[in-house]
Amino acid sequence: MNSNPANKNILEIRGLLAGYTGRHSFTFRHKLDLSIREGELVALVGKNGVGKSTLLRTLAGLHPPLGGDIYLSGKRNIEYSSLELSTMVGFVSTEPVLVNNMKVFDLIALGRYPYTNWFGRNRPADLETIRDSMEMVGISHLRDKNIFQISDGERQRAMIARTLAQDTRLIIMDEPTAFLDLPNKYEIVHLLKTLSREYQKAVVFSTHELGIAIDEADKIWLQTEEGIQQGSPEDLILQKQFSNMFDRKASSYISDKGELKIKRKFSGKIALEGTGKEFQMTRKALERIGYEVHQASGEKNQVTIMNDECGCKWIVNSEETGKVCNSIYELLDSIRYPLQK
Amino acid sequence: MDTQGKYISAYGWLGVLLLIGAGLFLTNLLTGSVQIPMKDILGLLSGQSNRSDEYGIILFELRIPRALTAILAGMALSVSGLQMQTMFRNPLAGPYVLGISAGSSLGVALLVLGTSGIAATITASAFGNWALAIAAWAGGGIVLFLILLVSIRVRDIMTILILGILFGSATTAVVSILQYFSSEAMLKSFIIWTLGSLTGVTSLQLKVLLPAVALGLFLAIISSKQLNVLLLGENYAKSLGLNVQKTRFIVFTGTSILSGTITAFCGPIGFIGIAVPHIARLLTGATDHRILIPACMLLGSSFMLLSDIISQLPGLEATLPINSVTALLGIPVVIWIVVRNQKLSNLL
Repeated sequence: MNSNPANKNILEIRGLLAGYTGRHSFTFRHKLDLSIREGELVALVGKNGVGKSTLLRTLAGLHPPLGGDIYLSGKRNIEYSSLELSTMVGFVSTEPVLVNNMKVFDLIALGRYPYTNWFGRNRPADLETIRDSMEMVGISHLRDKNIFQISDGERQRAMIARTLAQDTRLIIMDEPTAFLDLPNKYEIVHLLKTLSREYQKAVVFSTHELGIAIDEADKIWLQTEEGIQQGSPEDLILQKQFSNMFDRKASSYISDKGELKIKRKFSGKIALEGTGKEFQMTRKALERIGYEVHQASGEKNQVTIMNDECGCKWIVNSEETGKVCNSIYELLDSIRYPLQK
Repeated sequence: MDTQGKYISAYGWLGVLLLIGAGLFLTNLLTGSVQIPMKDILGLLSGQSNRSDEYGIILFELRIPRALTAILAGMALSVSGLQMQTMFRNPLAGPYVLGISAGSSLGVALLVLGTSGIAATITASAFGNWALAIAAWAGGGIVLFLILLVSIRVRDIMTILILGILFGSATTAVVSILQYFSSEAMLKSFIIWTLGSLTGVTSLQLKVLLPAVALGLFLAIISSKQLNVLLLGENYAKSLGLNVQKTRFIVFTGTSILSGTITAFCGPIGFIGIAVPHIARLLTGATDHRILIPACMLLGSSFMLLSDIISQLPGLEATLPINSVTALLGIPVVIWIVVRNQKLSNLL
């Protein structure tokens, strides 16, 4: 380990003011001091309209800062030429690429733009980098496919591969998980994490998936109107920073285990007896329909899970009679509509 | 190298287009009011026959300059259309979106309609087509200057597109006012210019047309790499290290040289610039401008040669205005492309 970890800062932000001047002016109220190290995965979270995209575009050098400095590998970013900058920072925005005939390979090959000659000829070394980039995100088999023929998740991987071909130490991504289904959201963030671990890339991405960010990121930048709180997800939970993100009406909260949960209003209580996975799932189901679940037994309102060789059975002991159910669905039915049974 | 294999079909198409272009060139030389047999043409071209006989004069003074003009016009308009479609990321952009040709029209209108009758006669007799060409060039150049000024100050490419269209509309309005106040004879000569013509270009003027088009095509070819990365949009292009302002400057200048020169010598020829780039993309299946630029050059010149052949089909007493022929050939192509793709947003 390096004795002075500050030396490994890929990106350092000192007193940064980002935003727009003019009529639609928007700036942060406080100057920002932030950093990212080699191999670090940073998630930028915050409400809509708080300026996440503006900050990322400013860091990528696409938008001039209103004040303060951005240091890349220890040197101010304005001291680099635009070509030098493009070999240090890769950027993926939410802007879709709309080119009808473009092949996956062509898209990724454009990442070599800063390195090729005036005519854009790919030398064998460039071709190797492009192949490696496709390999790293697992889309080698799609190289000759049209970018409109592949899925949203695959296209996002191709966009990431393009920044890998660009061979930058810092990768900035604006909402890479938007428009993706849940498994793909996890896979993309997991891929970013792999890239930061195995290839020592510094990766910053903005996201609305707070749960995924808390689970996977090394560091979270929590952006509010006041500025940005920086820290490991766990530190921010202990400092109760995330509660700033949710207003009183919000339906979610962070549990003691650090998981993002949906707030529930319980309308009744029920006792549950049982073990194992069946217990967990039954509990989850009962909570979903608005029951607070106790583990105490012997109460009148109770569900008992019987697990034997014949399979799993749920026995409902309501005030009137007992009823045996063969599935959780049946159990919920008999609790919700007891009179019909 | 495996990436080279990817383009074999595209390179194959370039070969096919070259053969088609050569065939159309010869057919074009055969077309005209005087029938010249193929063997005489080949004889004259190979230098075996006497160049100063009747056939020789028709071929070298009329038909070859005309066919070469068609080739140059086709190349210039198609390549500038391709550049504008990529630059503005708009499938309906063409060589004229910047308002360059509207500027040229204003220049010509000021010369033809604005000068008094005597002055017009003098300029027309003394300078002939040169005066028209210079007026058209100057008009287009002023609009180009305005566009370049705007493109340095304005970040958003869509704003530039809208401003270009507005400049064009404003100049067209001025031309309308000039037309309203001109005599019938002046009006007719202006309208004839707007119909477009390949016949007015003499072999002397070709010596200006050729280097101008060559310069414009050269600027396009050296911008291939930049145009490729601009397909992703200006943000991605910028993050890949592209100097957007510099590229705009080169591409706009190149486009203006190409479309302005053709407008100056042949009049505003429409539809080639919009239609040909789409056909080139469909045929080659490429997005790479290193393929698309030569494909547009070959296809554009074939398209123009074909239009010229149709405009002087045997049996027709007079020659049809070239502008009508290119429009009638080009519009079905544009309709077919629009209907076939449905989604206009990703036509490029």
